[in-house]
Amino acid sequence: MGFDLNSFLAFIIFGVTIGVVYGIVALGISLIYSGLDIVHFAHGEMYMFGAFFGLVLADNVGLPYPVALVGAMIITAIVGMSVERVFYRRLTRAGGGYTVAGMGMIICGFGMSVAMVNVAYFIWGAEAEPFRANLDYIPRLQFPGDIEVPESYVLTAIISVILMIGLHYFLRYTKPGLAVRAVAHNKDIAYLMGINVPLMISLIFGVACALAAAAGVLIGPMQSVQVEMGYLMLMKAFAAAVVGGFGSLPGAIIGGIMVGVFENLGAAYISASHKDIYAFLLLILVLMVKPSGLFGVEAKVKA
Amino acid sequence: MLQVNDVHAGYGNLKILRGVDMSISDGGIVTLLGGNGTGKSTLLKAISGLIPLMKGQITFDGVDISNLKPHERVRLGIVQVTQAKEAYPAMSVEENLVLGAYTRKDREATKADLERVYDFFPVLRERRKQMSGTLSGGEVQMLVIGRGMMAKPKMLMLDEPSAALAPKVVLEIFANINRIAKSGVTILVVEQNVRMALILAQYGYIIRDGIILIEGIADKLIKDPSVKESFLGGSVADVSRGLNNK
Ligand SMILES: Nc1ncnc2c1ncn2[C@@H]1O[C@H](COP(=O)(O)OP(=O)(O)O)[C@@H](O)[C@H]1O
Ligand SMILES: [Mg+2]
Repeated sequence: MGFDLNSFLAFIIFGVTIGVVYGIVALGISLIYSGLDIVHFAHGEMYMFGAFFGLVLADNVGLPYPVALVGAMIITAIVGMSVERVFYRRLTRAGGGYTVAGMGMIICGFGMSVAMVNVAYFIWGAEAEPFRANLDYIPRLQFPGDIEVPESYVLTAIISVILMIGLHYFLRYTKPGLAVRAVAHNKDIAYLMGINVPLMISLIFGVACALAAAAGVLIGPMQSVQVEMGYLMLMKAFAAAVVGGFGSLPGAIIGGIMVGVFENLGAAYISASHKDIYAFLLLILVLMVKPSGLFGVEAKVKA
Repeated sequence: MLQVNDVHAGYGNLKILRGVDMSISDGGIVTLLGGNGTGKSTLLKAISGLIPLMKGQITFDGVDISNLKPHERVRLGIVQVTQAKEAYPAMSVEENLVLGAYTRKDREATKADLERVYDFFPVLRERRKQMSGTLSGGEVQMLVIGRGMMAKPKMLMLDEPSAALAPKVVLEIFANINRIAKSGVTILVVEQNVRMALILAQYGYIIRDGIILIEGIADKLIKDPSVKESFLGGSVADVSRGLNNK
């Protein structure tokens, strides 16, 4: 098989689009990590719940896709904030990171992941459900050389960019955003600035879960929605976060794009049946060269 | 203004403060002195709410604040600047100062206070767009004090503002602490530099092993032989001259 530049470019385009979605989930994981000092292992399930909420809102309730997207983000944010408040708060208050409570938090995250999967089985069953989004009003993109990008990918790219700009604006230019950055850097100092730290932690968690939900609703129409979808997403988003440098927000996006492109190229040119391995191959390669990840520096939060 | 009654506090099960009493009235500068590890910072944290009380009570302007969260105490006007000199390194100098005014809604007055901080510490104005991670130690100390001013405190607590700074910078900072006090803010300043602190302050507490050992008018403490023993360097004349220049 000779090298075909057009299909190479197509793989890149699809890789970037999927990668941005990985990046959005990774962004949430990084936000939670910098804000709460915990690695949230149930984040894949927030993504899965978000996808189901979107599906229910769009296909069962019949809301327009963008409305369903926003709705799913809001509901998932509320679910996430409740989970944090009820199950995680006690442990995070005792200290995250390397403390015994931090260890407990990891176990707690795993447990939450299993619990959420089972709740989802109970509600939605084991079948993979197609997400029929009406996207006729979105143009297909036609690139020179017969590359056609389907609507769902175009939409994903647009919405992802909007979300990233929105998050950047929020963190950079709004007062709660400033407070979130302050909390992420140092909770005691944030407290002494008069910031309601527990409230900001809820907010961080909510935003991170809303981002995961958005990713779920975006991926839904490309693949299908099923209970076990969270696990693989978590792994890829982790790979993205680590490749980019854990805790770095731009790093999460760049890491996501790298994972997406790498796995698409791997699937195309090496072997399609091992598609899910490439993310970790990339992870190992990057860590061998730069153990802190590409954008991983000492300071924890960079908006 | 501030009443500390039989306060016991510490970290986890470790008790550091073992019955501290303190009474600070409106206006002026009060200093809290004592050797390393005697519980000075711990007492400030108990007052600002960063650590919970095990026993005792703290009231501020007659209100029992013992169970309030730190951010609620800030709203009442109690502001602590920690010993760690922590600015947010990834934020500009001005962002740090704006963050200091987080609880305030009075935009015009906040702007005026920003100008006032820049007048007090001109170097901060020069560096206002710079990331605070690039500042020198003295500049960071000025920034965190300025950030404390931005909260419009009634009582400002400073934890070792002179630590690890050049004498010239220390004088500038002390002079500005004096100016802040003159503007009507009550100051509680923790110091290792006993002589300078007692010249700056009107009243002093000396803490040892988690209890107040001696308290009294600063002028008296400075002549007290038991206090004199712990004096370290810094001549009275130098400090007085430095303070009077401002
Ligand atoms: N976060 C902490 N956890 C446990 N012990 C602490 C902590 N901070 C300070 N201590 C201990 O409390 C005692 C008093 O500390 P501190 O109040 O910081 O002293 P200083 O008078 O020098 O400010 C010290 O013995 C110190 O080791
Ligand atoms: Mg101290």
